[in-house]
Amino acid sequence: MNEFTRSESGLHVPKKKVTRRSMLAAMGGAATVPMLYGCGVGTGGGGDDAGSANGAGEVTGSFDWKALKGESIKILQTPHPYQQAFQPLLKEFTELTGIEVQADLVAEADYFTKLNTELAGKTGAHDVFMTGAYFIWQYGPPGWMEDLKPWIENSAATSDEYDFEDIYEGLRTSTRWDFEKGSELGTGGQWAIPWGFETNVVAYNKKEFDARGIALPETFDDFIQLANDLTDRSQNRYGVAFRGSKSWATIHPGFMTQFTREGAKDYTAEGTTYTAAMNSDKAVDFTKKWVDLAKSAGPTSWTTYDYPQCTGDLGNGNAMMVYDADSATYPKQKAGASAQAGNLAWYPGPAGPDGSYATNLWTWSLAMNAASKKKQAAWLFIQWATGKEAMNKATSSTFADPVRASVFDGSFKQTLGEFPGYLETFEKVIDSTKIQFTPQTKFFETTEDWAVALQDIYSGADAKSRLDELAKANTSKINA
Amino acid sequence: MRRVPAWRRGLRPYLLSVPAVLLIIGILYAFFYGVYYTVLNYAATNPTPSFVGADNYRSVLGDPLFWRSAGTTLLYAVAATGLETVLGVAIALLLNRSTLIGKTFERLLILPLMIAPVIAGVIWKLMFNPQFGVLNHVLGLGSTFDWLSKDRALASTILVDVWIYTPFVAILVLAGIRSLPKEPFEASDVDGANWFYMFRRLMLPMMWPYILVAVIFRFMDCLKVFDAVYVLTAGGPGVTTTTLQIGAFEDSITNLNYSRGSTYMFLLWIIVFITARYLVSVLGKAQRRAAGAGA
Repeated sequence: MNEFTRSESGLHVPKKKVTRRSMLAAMGGAATVPMLYGCGVGTGGGGDDAGSANGAGEVTGSFDWKALKGESIKILQTPHPYQQAFQPLLKEFTELTGIEVQADLVAEADYFTKLNTELAGKTGAHDVFMTGAYFIWQYGPPGWMEDLKPWIENSAATSDEYDFEDIYEGLRTSTRWDFEKGSELGTGGQWAIPWGFETNVVAYNKKEFDARGIALPETFDDFIQLANDLTDRSQNRYGVAFRGSKSWATIHPGFMTQFTREGAKDYTAEGTTYTAAMNSDKAVDFTKKWVDLAKSAGPTSWTTYDYPQCTGDLGNGNAMMVYDADSATYPKQKAGASAQAGNLAWYPGPAGPDGSYATNLWTWSLAMNAASKKKQAAWLFIQWATGKEAMNKATSSTFADPVRASVFDGSFKQTLGEFPGYLETFEKVIDSTKIQFTPQTKFFETTEDWAVALQDIYSGADAKSRLDELAKANTSKINA
Repeated sequence: MRRVPAWRRGLRPYLLSVPAVLLIIGILYAFFYGVYYTVLNYAATNPTPSFVGADNYRSVLGDPLFWRSAGTTLLYAVAATGLETVLGVAIALLLNRSTLIGKTFERLLILPLMIAPVIAGVIWKLMFNPQFGVLNHVLGLGSTFDWLSKDRALASTILVDVWIYTPFVAILVLAGIRSLPKEPFEASDVDGANWFYMFRRLMLPMMWPYILVAVIFRFMDCLKVFDAVYVLTAGGPGVTTTTLQIGAFEDSITNLNYSRGSTYMFLLWIIVFITARYLVSVLGKAQRRAAGAGA
């Protein structure tokens, strides 16, 4: 400790002057202490701490919606037709349970950035969040998501009327995985409950097709020809919109669907070792055609296109077709929602050479934050939102497609009169609709690299050599 | 009047400095924690990290994408800062005359600075759209001219940066011009010097410190550029506009590889730190020269 001495002015000043250097040294030391302490406690992320303990077993007695009356929960959502359809219904949940719900919205472009950061921080700020099935592969291993299987199986926590099996099997399977290399989906915990989902098919401008007597193309080559024929840049009109931005989301809708229909695969597995197969002959041939299609009959600024731009062009009448999620194009047909509302129709898109209608799916699901302090209330909300009654009500708005067979076959079908081909398309592809990707924890990194490769090929790189390079890198990353 | 005890008076300077010390500790803590991550293998897929020494540095420095991103970042910074400086000085000189039009433009100039770079990125992305964007329509470029294609994406992102930040340089330089002493200019005027001579031999040397401050701010910011570029191109097409910050973001946030992302960011910090030190030393020399010129 410094000695103090009285100055002439009466102030106490340190005998030994605290220099700038010694002050900085002291601050550095102070900063180092918590840092080293932090090392000792680990840097987080593990699923083994108290915050992630599954609380389903603690719920006993008979099921009661009002069991947590007066409680409140926070949910994290992105503005989306599913969320918009449910927003007015939230008060009904509060009336049913006495639980207040605060829904925080983050735009889709930033949604997963926000979610990644929040889950990694394990604050438990939001009890329930919207997620896609692929994200389970990333959020599951570090223990950020709650396994909902014990909740579903506990009759004290789940209503007899819930009927989990009513949710399409392909969707239940797509949200289960054991995080082991080589394991198929459908193994392990139930990490999220499917809420809404989408098949990737083609929406087209029926009015234009009918006026010109255009028949729907059955093969991919015919599809390409038609898209080229429909393109007239001088009229600001082009054949087909599909995503092309530098994102994993470019790969999963139309591209992965047609890639699979043409007989290509992303990886081949031998035990727990994967080999990237996006450079197989079939894959290279298809990729060349897809990229050429983007150049000749796609949006001019394809490398920046996400689904809102694609569906926007369809709705405005610039794009004659869109190969993307059926539920993304669905809202454009609603009266007043777009310039082409009422003029649109759907069909499954071209079949593969063997007649395959294999279709990749996306499901917006509801998951429970493992760090939530209000797990029972969170489960009540998930149970209600994915239940029959609320979903039936939501389908009268913009909610497409419901994940429950009973809802789809009931109230949803009744709203589809003004959606030509929608139901027929759905019924044609639903049996072969599933996640066509190989589940793996490096999904986002390797799939974004895939999108980068598509952009490079679009910019002039040789398809075969670029895909060889990608496959080599992805094989190395995925097996690391 | 009640006398404050001596011990309390002695404690006062230390208490007053507590907020600043806490702030610095907060900054240093985050910084050193980030540096600490660089020697671990911490990722979402590896939540129980272990010490890996220099593996992350070897991985990042051995990655051709890192060097390509560094080159892109440097090119972006040099081009954007250069253009903004030239245009900013030119605009400041034009606005120096206090006419009504000058004053109106002076107020309008601040508008781009009031828009968040992310929003500016969205606005420009819409304007760049070949189908319905206003630029192709106004410039008569048709619906096939793609501003964000591989060959043009970097130039287009620089254009957006120039649009947002040229006013910043102009305002800073304008403030500098208005603080210059009038006497040397009056004396030169009496001696019959023309405008260009006065600009080159008097105004420019005295303005250098202000210009350099703007250059330092802009160059540092450009080295760290992320938001507008990410919104416009996400680093594409391919990796054409991938800057170091975008690379760090992809590793840290998209791929949840925190250690590799931290390594990216620490290396970027070193680059920015060295550049800043150099530019500040240049600024010091310029200030000394300007003081001589203005005396």
